[in-house]
Amino acid sequence: MVSIKLHNVSLVYKLHEKLTLSAPDRRVGGPGGRIEGSGRKQFVQALDGISFELKAGDRLGLVGPNGAGKTTLLKVLYGIYEPSGGSVAIEGKVDALFNINIGFRREATGRRNIVLRGLISGWTEAEIEEKMEDIIAFSELGDFIDLPFKAYSQGMAARLAFSAATALDPEILLMDEWIGAGDASFQDKAKRRMDELAEKAGIIVLASHSEALIQSVCTKRMTLRSGRIESFTTEPTKRAGKPAKL
Amino acid sequence: MIAALNGAFDDISRAIRLHRVWIALAHEDIGDQHRRTTLGPLWLLVNYVAFVGTFVFVFQPAGKDAAGYAAYVAIGLLVWFYLMEVMSLSVSLFQREESFIEGTTLPLFVYVLRLALQSAIRAGYAIAGCLVILLLSGPPVASPWLWSVAGLLLILLVTPAMITVFAFLGAFFPDSQFIVGNLLRVGMFFTPVFWVYKGQEGIQRYAYHWNPFTYFLEIVRLPILNGELPAHAFGVTIIMSLAIWMIALLLLGRYRKQVIFII
Repeated sequence: MVSIKLHNVSLVYKLHEKLTLSAPDRRVGGPGGRIEGSGRKQFVQALDGISFELKAGDRLGLVGPNGAGKTTLLKVLYGIYEPSGGSVAIEGKVDALFNINIGFRREATGRRNIVLRGLISGWTEAEIEEKMEDIIAFSELGDFIDLPFKAYSQGMAARLAFSAATALDPEILLMDEWIGAGDASFQDKAKRRMDELAEKAGIIVLASHSEALIQSVCTKRMTLRSGRIESFTTEPTKRAGKPAKL
Repeated sequence: MIAALNGAFDDISRAIRLHRVWIALAHEDIGDQHRRTTLGPLWLLVNYVAFVGTFVFVFQPAGKDAAGYAAYVAIGLLVWFYLMEVMSLSVSLFQREESFIEGTTLPLFVYVLRLALQSAIRAGYAIAGCLVILLLSGPPVASPWLWSVAGLLLILLVTPAMITVFAFLGAFFPDSQFIVGNLLRVGMFFTPVFWVYKGQEGIQRYAYHWNPFTYFLEIVRLPILNGELPAHAFGVTIIMSLAIWMIALLLLGRYRKQVIFII
């Protein structure tokens, strides 16, 4: 059964004082959050006491100001960041779309990039071959699929990334804001595919600043602020499985 | 320590299962580096032969010592360039792979193996050039050459560990990119790559015996040039390789989840 259970998850990381001969660099890498402590013992509390459960068919919208912890939470769910405390239990095959360019090589063709993206996601060559034509058809890239990726516009890249990531029916799909990159007709198509995915008893977690997108896709909403949950509500006007319309 | 080793082995075994990923990426890397050039990766062969030719032309000793110098330099440069490339690319490995590390759940060792394979492919072109030079100028092919092949394999086996150690060094200590780069440039003169050690006193004596790179060079060079197994050089290299692997496993096990927060 597809599910996500987080109990009291926190993510704290030390701001490493890099051993360097140059002047100290105060830029902060990694996720957002609150910077605490001072001097050499600074640390960032990126997530604090996050507990929630999602079950099959849930579509969660993550909202909150920049640096609230939305992307960090997605990356904890995906397994990129190891939480410092609490427990994460995830049942189901997870795929994620954080950055359009992940796994895409500028010089390689769209077709070759689908193969690379598939391998990185752990697909077999046979699975990639089987889904190839579907992915190309869904992306509507046509003959562009055999041109180098660097020739693509941002929207075309988004089409390819979304088509590839959703082609193997992930049970849990994590997405960051960028879905807005495609044109209106592709966004409609993408929403329909997300609806299908949720209807097949999948879970979608979508971080976005777009109120329209959250309202049309999500059934639940979590507001994050400074790494903590400010509110967690079920959208009253939506129910799982209902096709979304803008 | 046991937990760290377990973590490292888990990372490595997951990376080996994902062999299709790093094999595909390494091939893409080689293709990208030479895209739009006429000779393509053959430039690697041209560069190597040009270097060997220059060194032989400038430094070849007169008289009876001349015989075998081309083979000496050809093998020396083959191993030295390989080690130099591996180390200088390793220190910036995690920074270069930042977008992958922050966007995918691939084990870190995937990036290590990607670089190891890429370096091995590039070295393959130099090996082809080296073989031609050996056949034209070196001693006749004999069974001790197999020890040289064993030496090359040992170097290939220790490569992923070297990459791991230098990649963590570069991630935690960014200045090391420049320190390593400078040391390697200077190191060539302190390593018997193109000068021959014949028991002379002075700085060359220390540079020969106390330089770890000497032994990596000698396990490949001596079997071909002297027709014998350099047991001492092999022993030293094996001990160094085990030590490097141990450090690499501990670093990988202990710090692999921290890398994302510091790059």
